[in-house]
Amino acid sequence: MAAGSVVLLTRALEALDVGGAADKINLIPQDFFAELRLQTSGIEVNVGDLAKITNTVSFLFSTAARNNLSTEELITALGSTVNTLPKHAIQVIRHVWNEQGKSVGVSEDKGNMSTVGQFVDIKWKLGVAMSSDTCRSLKYPYVTVALKVADSSGQITNKCFEMTVPQFKNFFRQFKEMAAVLETV
Amino acid sequence: MAAAEQQPPAVDGGKVDITEELLRGQLYPEAAPEEFRALRAKMGGLLQSIASADMDLNQLEAFLTAQTKKQGGITSDQAAVIAKFWKNHRVKIHESLVNQSCWDNVLKNMNWRVDLKSQSRHVDQINTPVAIVEMELGKYGQESEFLCLEFDEAKVSQMLKKLTEIEESMTALTQTT
Repeated sequence: MAAGSVVLLTRALEALDVGGAADKINLIPQDFFAELRLQTSGIEVNVGDLAKITNTVSFLFSTAARNNLSTEELITALGSTVNTLPKHAIQVIRHVWNEQGKSVGVSEDKGNMSTVGQFVDIKWKLGVAMSSDTCRSLKYPYVTVALKVADSSGQITNKCFEMTVPQFKNFFRQFKEMAAVLETV
Repeated sequence: MAAAEQQPPAVDGGKVDITEELLRGQLYPEAAPEEFRALRAKMGGLLQSIASADMDLNQLEAFLTAQTKKQGGITSDQAAVIAKFWKNHRVKIHESLVNQSCWDNVLKNMNWRVDLKSQSRHVDQINTPVAIVEMELGKYGQESEFLCLEFDEAKVSQMLKKLTEIEESMTALTQTT
């Protein structure tokens, strides 16, 4: 998978004529390139070239993100393009990807996937937490609810959670707003 | 030793790793480590008692006055600083203690929107508004599960009826305590 991604990125870069852009990148100071900000630098780069460079760089990072490339894989791919990018540009790309790469990487972790379902019913229970090992005088009321949910196959599950009084008030308020909107639509 | 004028560093749910040496350097650089340790232990103990009892102003005053009269207790300056700190941070500290004692799932966030169903197997559902609700459920400090539910008008009414029951019970409860 890793080797394939590197090849993919290399081909993508070549297709985008990174070589052409590479010559222009030589004109741009390191810091400016790193931040991709359009500031005047007193350097003759026309808008078209700048757009091309910006496109190339964003394509570079988004392809790397989609394929979850590590910094090493990314730099390796750049190293094998026909017209190698100048060293300072590579340094900048390495630095930026090291810092930001993880946050833009597409996660394949299923932990965040939404479960879609139909609301069936709600059961509830009201309690008061009196005391705990860390606090002898807790004295806060809380409601435990069990949402009966039917998934797309019709299977019923219970989703349970607790709410303190302020949390419950907010929950209630949201549903009142929902009802109001449903009425007016 | 004069009472510290600054507020103690904010404690993030008890997880902050503040060393005694760091505190001494910040607050009492001229004090000997032993002296500072004793002060810190004393103040920490008092705050723990106050937080654990979630003292109101009357209880706080009585408690601190008693402490100033004790042998090896605190000065009235120190009592004033502790009182000021508790008044300013009581709610936040209590909330933190409440959250620490909640070990089940909580509703971390909730978003919703209303859609118009334009296509459906059931002809009678065309152009009916439906609410799509996304709930983020999870335990404090752990990964969340995102639950996405559909509610038509009838289901929202059903929900509101149950929530009203809860509200009535809560009101009854807080009126009797």
